[in-house]
Amino acid sequence: MESNTSLWPSYDAQSFFDEMLDESGKPRPHYRKLYAWLRRRNGEDMTDLQREADLSLLNQGVTFTVYSDARGTEKIFPFDLMPRLITASEWDKVEAGIKQRLTAMNMFLHDIYHEQNILKEQIIPTDLVVNSPYFCREMMHVDVPGGVYAHISGIDLIRDGNGELLVLEDNLRSPSGVSYVVENRWVMGRVMPDLLQQHRIRAVDHYPQMLFAALSSLARVENPNIAVLTPGTYNSAYFEHAFLANQMGAELVEGRDLLVDNDILYMQTTEGLVRVDVLYRRIDDEYLDPLTFRADSMLGVTGIMHAYRAGNLVLANAPGTGVADDKATYAYTPDIIRYYLNEEPIIPIVPTYLCRRPDELAYVLDHLEELVVKPTDASGGYGMLVGSHATKEQIIAFRQLIADNPEHYIAQPIQKLSTHPTLVEKDGHKVLQPRHVDLRPYAVCGSDGRISVLPGGLTRVALAEGQLVVNSSQGGGSKDTWVLYPEEGENHA
Amino acid sequence: MLSRIARGMYELGRCIERTENVTRILDVNHRMSLELNYFSDLDVWSPMLSITGSRELFDSLYDEVNEINVYDFLLLSEDNPRSMISSLNLAREHARGMRERISEEIWEHINRMHIEIQGVVLDEVINRGSNRFNRRIQLFCNAFNGFADNTMVHGEAWQFLRLGRYLERARMTARILGIKYYILLPDSDEVGRPLDLHQWQALLRSVSGYEAYRRLYRARISPGKVINLMLFDPRFPRSLSYCIRHVRDGLSGIGCHTDSQKTLFAQIATFHEELEEGNGDVVLDQGLRSYLEEINARCSDIHQQLTSGYLDPMIILDSFGHETPMGTQAQQQQQVHQ
Repeated sequence: MESNTSLWPSYDAQSFFDEMLDESGKPRPHYRKLYAWLRRRNGEDMTDLQREADLSLLNQGVTFTVYSDARGTEKIFPFDLMPRLITASEWDKVEAGIKQRLTAMNMFLHDIYHEQNILKEQIIPTDLVVNSPYFCREMMHVDVPGGVYAHISGIDLIRDGNGELLVLEDNLRSPSGVSYVVENRWVMGRVMPDLLQQHRIRAVDHYPQMLFAALSSLARVENPNIAVLTPGTYNSAYFEHAFLANQMGAELVEGRDLLVDNDILYMQTTEGLVRVDVLYRRIDDEYLDPLTFRADSMLGVTGIMHAYRAGNLVLANAPGTGVADDKATYAYTPDIIRYYLNEEPIIPIVPTYLCRRPDELAYVLDHLEELVVKPTDASGGYGMLVGSHATKEQIIAFRQLIADNPEHYIAQPIQKLSTHPTLVEKDGHKVLQPRHVDLRPYAVCGSDGRISVLPGGLTRVALAEGQLVVNSSQGGGSKDTWVLYPEEGENHA
Repeated sequence: MLSRIARGMYELGRCIERTENVTRILDVNHRMSLELNYFSDLDVWSPMLSITGSRELFDSLYDEVNEINVYDFLLLSEDNPRSMISSLNLAREHARGMRERISEEIWEHINRMHIEIQGVVLDEVINRGSNRFNRRIQLFCNAFNGFADNTMVHGEAWQFLRLGRYLERARMTARILGIKYYILLPDSDEVGRPLDLHQWQALLRSVSGYEAYRRLYRARISPGKVINLMLFDPRFPRSLSYCIRHVRDGLSGIGCHTDSQKTLFAQIATFHEELEEGNGDVVLDQGLRSYLEEINARCSDIHQQLTSGYLDPMIILDSFGHETPMGTQAQQQQQVHQ
């Protein structure tokens, strides 16, 4: 281990796979330039750079609202300056794997909302799908524009102890975070331009154009009016909604700006009612239309489902996509890929125990200490149990919860998420310490099922020592993710 | 632009203007009450409540009409939706929802005042002199207008802010003029005598019009000329005529697309032309009170039409500029089904 710089006082990734350093403590080939750059920096240098980056994000207003704070204070999403690097060859695999997965998911959604062949052939238990809280009966036999259900996705990947990439979670409803991908790169360019120039990195700032192209390709008209529907300024992701609307040249609307007349969606402007052809909605299904879903919703638009079913509107993502990213469905995703595409999954999933199966339930109840237990219908790291980090009382309480309601839970072996050198405060300046990371690449799907994956994505990092949950709602931060061009730092040996 | 944003800017302009005007009304009353010391049996506070149209609400909250209670009600009561603090809170709320549309300076200015005002107690305001507090608020409002005019792009959003500001100011100028009539109905014995002149002078000062009057008319204070200044003088920035001209210009900056919008514009232009011809002595002869009531009704009407024409439109405008009222096609369809 190098110790001639105060940045690396005691770096030990232990038994985890480290993204930058191999077992002998040497940098992996594609990290060599970064490693050499770091050797010329010390803790004070990095403290200054980090401060500059944080200030830059704050001034830009790249913030999220903290719900627990009544005064609506805005904070920056913690950003770690150490970039995460991915080689071109590995990215090819990620990209192919995500395209495969998303294609299968869209076919699956079309099937279960039409003929339901996959249920008839008993590849997936029917009750698991139709009893899912995200299954949307109102979508039965609706022909969605272009046959696309999940237009925007953010599939979470992790790297296990052997260095293998695995799918941890599918996010097919309204995944957030893509604005940070673009902003993080922008900050890196400001704060460490020399480091960026030394690498050949694929760009990420065209994401809004990618999204715009995919969404407008599905509209019936030539120059569609696109709007982004936000729950409002108090929503934690409001910054992202405003960012995407601005960057796409779309109108940022709230439910009260919209109305449906004669099955056509309009927004109220000072020039009268203007038709909306494509709505990228960032509110949940149940709030979308008080006429169809929750009657007390103040966020949605009365009658919007009628406009949608009449084919007068592109709604991204389609209602009811949640049934495909349900954590119970997750266990069947390899079967879904095989069923529709007749291919083996390019990126495997984490082994998953379904508590609804009696034998697996018994195993789960006996091995809670070694498992992560997740509710099937929650996201953001809420309501889960990490067995190795839980107290005895928590385990006993959870055992009861699972036994009472087994269909509501799945369990997975605790994954040894890979680590990445991350700047951590120690004695007044920054040092590098291993912290667990995951990767959320973003993909958009346009007409003819054409999928584009943004080369990069959000590397989320758990900032607390030993913490395995990376969600921002659980105190996680993010890193810039550099997908390198071919030949850039690849080991051909 | 989205009607919601337009409405937010319009309301923001109104809130700030209303904030300032509450303090101006209190000022004029304060000054007049000083002059009225020897009429100690005269109730000078009740008219304030009539003018602000909030007597009922006041009675439900306080036992007695007196200086302290009226100050509390008009300045610091959050139960009164038209109090200074309610207007200020609402202004901040609107500003917060439009952070991307207003400049950073404006946001910071409002937010600071919002924080400052939360700790204010009435006793302190009265003890240190209400005048001092009112000045502070007026300073804030004028600085806001300065920031708005000098740091914002003069596009549609700014125009709606301007509309709100001047329409509210027009109504308030008429209202302040009305105070004179509520406080002391023009008693023929008093007209032209020292007390009457003192009151006109106090009125002028409350709209920053005393020096303007002296400079513009170089004459002793006469009721007809005071009315000229406050209603008809195009040079005086709180006059009705000045305000309505800005409303007209704001609207022409925004543009008129639908029929109802065009009608509204024509109406405001006519209103302005009439004000340019106005004469204070004629108004006094025909009765100031009824004239002010008419002004108030016209301003309310403009507000209604602005709302239906721009802020809550129900007209579908196709790409050829043809108008279709909402719901007509749907009704036809229903008839076919029958």
